[in-house]
Amino acid sequence: MAETISNISLAGIVKRYGDVTALDGVSLVLDKNEYVSLLGPSGSGKTSLLRVIAGFERPDAGTVTVFGRDVTNLAPHKRGIGFVFQNFALFPHLSVYQNVAFGLVNADTPPPADEVRRRVTEMIRLVGLTGLEGRDIGQISGGQRQRVALARTLVTEPRLILLDEPLGALDANLRMRMRDELRNIRERLGVTFLHVTGSETEALAMGDRVVVLDRGAIAQFATPDTIMNSPANPNVARFLNRYNVLLGELRGDAFVTAYGDLAYGKRIESSDGAYGIRYDRIAVVGETAPSAGVEVPVTFVASEYLGSAVMYFFEAADGHILEVEHHLGKGRMPEYRSREKYKLQWKPEDAIVFG
Amino acid sequence: MESRVLKPVLAVYVGLFILFLYGPFIVLGILSFQQGPEGGPQFPIIEWSTYWYRHIFGLTPPSRVAPLPFGQSLIRSLTLAFMTMVTSTVLGVMSAQAFRSKFKGSGVVFYLIVLGMMVPGVLTGLGTALTANSLGIERHWWSTAYVTHVVYTFPFAFLVMLAILNRFDSSVEEASWSLGVPPMRTFRKVTFPLIFPGVLSAMLFAFTLSYDEFSRTLFASGRDQTLPLAIYGTFAVEIHPNIFAFGVLTTLFSFSLLTVYAILMTMSVRRAGKAAIQEDIA
Repeated sequence: MAETISNISLAGIVKRYGDVTALDGVSLVLDKNEYVSLLGPSGSGKTSLLRVIAGFERPDAGTVTVFGRDVTNLAPHKRGIGFVFQNFALFPHLSVYQNVAFGLVNADTPPPADEVRRRVTEMIRLVGLTGLEGRDIGQISGGQRQRVALARTLVTEPRLILLDEPLGALDANLRMRMRDELRNIRERLGVTFLHVTGSETEALAMGDRVVVLDRGAIAQFATPDTIMNSPANPNVARFLNRYNVLLGELRGDAFVTAYGDLAYGKRIESSDGAYGIRYDRIAVVGETAPSAGVEVPVTFVASEYLGSAVMYFFEAADGHILEVEHHLGKGRMPEYRSREKYKLQWKPEDAIVFG
Repeated sequence: MESRVLKPVLAVYVGLFILFLYGPFIVLGILSFQQGPEGGPQFPIIEWSTYWYRHIFGLTPPSRVAPLPFGQSLIRSLTLAFMTMVTSTVLGVMSAQAFRSKFKGSGVVFYLIVLGMMVPGVLTGLGTALTANSLGIERHWWSTAYVTHVVYTFPFAFLVMLAILNRFDSSVEEASWSLGVPPMRTFRKVTFPLIFPGVLSAMLFAFTLSYDEFSRTLFASGRDQTLPLAIYGTFAVEIHPNIFAFGVLTTLFSFSLLTVYAILMTMSVRRAGKAAIQEDIA
């Protein structure tokens, strides 16, 4: 009967460490076979949430239900929830094969030896580590370790796998490759993933849906597309690292800031007033260029070359830094002179306003 | 500039240290090869011989020098040291494990345990003897002395394990749980192998401290003596070089223990080294 409820649900999770409230009433429902990214700045309670779900920490309030079973007070080893650690936490005294086999061999009721061998061998093949079975953990690379950590968890066939920034320790190339591999593995095995990450690109790229956590509470839970185009509040927009967030006050049809009244296209209900414009929706024109759309006078500060794009940093009258992204696919890199005055222009319909 | 002065000074210091550490032993070692049975425990060496070594094992014709009464006491001391080692290490591991999570009164308990190292041994021994007497408990090396030895060595084992567990990354344990492995099995399969170097050190501490413990045992051991007491007992009569020969043999025994320790340590450190590399990359 329990299996008919095919989701993982958290209800009103509260977790305090002394006077600090790490999680302040988190409620969340994850569907079966869904890949959910959990995005938030450091200190937002991401890891605490994962540890509560895994059972390493007991919440001060709230319940964790996995496929209809209340596991809030269940010991971690009885939950059937896999956990992939940021530092991988491999068993350094065991070989690659022994690491992967560990959960099966040491289960309460271990499967027969030949089945263990078959499943472990198959899993090692799946993550592409065939031939390295006998190696010690110290003799393989970072990416290979990450795959051992994943294989070790997957082979026990948990229904939910929690990933705590498992790609954070890898270099950029490897991170991209592992991202693809994670997706492939999930498509083949059909488990629910909850992936904590501090990287907004990773969160948006990997998640079917993205949870944005802010100061121990859920700020938004939606598809990457929705999050990107309609962040629920100014903080979410800031975490995405794609928006210039200007402060001011919403008055009727205009958003009043230190640089004048700015027009906008979309309004999002929020308790905090702010004005958001994406880095890549802004045009830079000379001081004397004709006016068009929304306009803010600025001074050029610096630029940063990113390979596929260039980031330009401009300072507005109140000292606020505005970022402009220029994709190099659009043409060659424009040059601006330091401390020269320019104007930033954008279309009102590209801007969103919170308030 | 500074090192031109400092280095020779430090070298002299180290030289003196080694001299004081090994000097007495070297003197004893030389004297143990004194001629027997007439030769005494002093220089000069009349004639080099292994007489006193043979004397210990009863391989010499009977003479006026009585054989050392160490056979039984050596076995007692070894047994006692072994019992103490096992008990203290088990207790040390368990209590240090308990201290990984802060519990109510953990500070007080910590100092109560560590105090066992500080209390003068003579007092502990005397106290144990008096308590045993007033309770009508007979004193033996395997009962009252054993208890004082455990009380004495347990804090050392505890502190060693505490230091080891302080550095222990508990995420490997959590990883094991999340793979469905119960806590006790996790301890046996993950925690214990990883803290094994520390356990070895704790064992070494407990064994050596117990093996040559004197002041506590003096009061607490009752009729049957342990080795340190037996050795001391022979001083009261007359000193012959056989005691030096015996000293050399027990020291060699200690060295072999240390060698076993070093081999086991190297084996487990090599594994831990791999673990360290893993952390560096991660």
